[in-house]
Amino acid sequence: MSNVISASHLTLAYDNGTKEIIKDATFSIKKGEFVFITGPSGSGKSTLLKALYGQIKASEGNLVIGGLDLATARKSKLQELRTHMGIIFQDYKLVNEWTVAKNVVLPLMIAGYSVDVQNTQAQRLLKHVKLSEHAEKYPLELSGGEQQRVGVARALAKNPVVILADEPTGNLDDYSSNVIWDLMENACQQLDTTVLVVTHKIPSIFSLPYRHFIIENKGVYEVH
Amino acid sequence: MKFIKNHLMFILPLMAILLGVEFYLVFDRTTDSYEKGLTEGYSMLVVTNEPASLETFQGLNAHISSSEKIKREGIVSEIAKGVSKDASKEILGALPHFYSVRLDSYLGTASLDKIKKDLESHANVKSVETFGSSYSSSYRLFSFIKLSLKIFIVFMAVVSLFLIIKQMEIWKYAHKQRMQVMEIFGAPLMLRSGVLFKVAIIDAILATLFTSLFFLYLKFKWAANSGIDMMIQNKEELFKMTDIGILLAVALVIVVIAVYTVVFTAKGEEE
Repeated sequence: MSNVISASHLTLAYDNGTKEIIKDATFSIKKGEFVFITGPSGSGKSTLLKALYGQIKASEGNLVIGGLDLATARKSKLQELRTHMGIIFQDYKLVNEWTVAKNVVLPLMIAGYSVDVQNTQAQRLLKHVKLSEHAEKYPLELSGGEQQRVGVARALAKNPVVILADEPTGNLDDYSSNVIWDLMENACQQLDTTVLVVTHKIPSIFSLPYRHFIIENKGVYEVH
Repeated sequence: MKFIKNHLMFILPLMAILLGVEFYLVFDRTTDSYEKGLTEGYSMLVVTNEPASLETFQGLNAHISSSEKIKREGIVSEIAKGVSKDASKEILGALPHFYSVRLDSYLGTASLDKIKKDLESHANVKSVETFGSSYSSSYRLFSFIKLSLKIFIVFMAVVSLFLIIKQMEIWKYAHKQRMQVMEIFGAPLMLRSGVLFKVAIIDAILATLFTSLFFLYLKFKWAANSGIDMMIQNKEELFKMTDIGILLAVALVIVVIAVYTVVFTAKGEEE
């Protein structure tokens, strides 16, 4: 199976390379794999995730996603790559002035799908995350768990090649957490989506085979 | 209410700038025609020993546009009343030649002095009278009014620009979250800033429309019924239909700069 993500001697740093967060990390992730990245607070988990969706660039080494070297990729290519990713944030990053339905279909809107397709997909996705009755509400009218389910529905909207999730169930109740893990497991199992989750703790209810990386002392190590 | 307030906060300063631009255009046209009137009403007197042609005068200074010979017979008939025909012929022969010389534009006093010097440098020219003192006071008053109005327009534009920058900060705050989320999901610049462009272009059109309506009112209602001669005479200069295009172009340039500033600064903060 081909690598979807591959990092080679990757170093990530802030402040013009003076503050190193990740140093000399080498790893690769194949299509359809479910990967957990754990580590203590401030270890660089979220920084690694930001690098994976091109928000920050490697100060050294290479990071290749879907065949695209993010260090040298042109802006338009990076934009295109992001349209094949589903990204889930701990703070949801929903657009508060848009309805739940509109938030969910953002990736379809960007891809230029017709309004009819967007509406149909919004209904289907919201049914999946058990929020059908909230379609016309605004994010701030929902609970944290419900907002995160909207975020997950948005991430799944365009059947992405890769899902990147940053502490997706961090502060959520058990019900919302279970719904979210189910959805991500299904995406991985049924659609062969590569899922990469940054989290403090691997959930005990998780049933799929997975790979586990830990970030420690700036290094990224696989736990066998 | 908030929606209307947000629009007005951009439309009003934009209108202030457009009013400034339109006032400038109107003032420029009015002063041009006034200058033309002053130029046409002004002439200097040149006295020569021998008859001189326009080409001779123009050869001495390029600002001279026309010359008209003043008939000496009239002068002689005034000063030689009761004098015999032969004597009056003799007076006529002894008189120099007088020319009323006009200029191509409304010039400053320094330029008038230069023209006088240039003309007097010719051996045939006996003397030149520029009527400098009355010309100079009109010129200074006119220049002062012109400068004051221009300073006022520039001041108004600068203040309005600050108000627009302030409004852009509000826009940035209001649209930042949406634009950042859209960027993360790979939306191109035009899609991310589409809403902002739509709002800004509508505001630009509204500001142009309100400014144009204000000037059309001034032209067809206020100026026509004002009873002020200068206003009635210069009514045509008050607003021309082509000004709508100029105002719209200015408004669009301002909003495009404003939107791009918001889009790029919002992106910079995120990174």
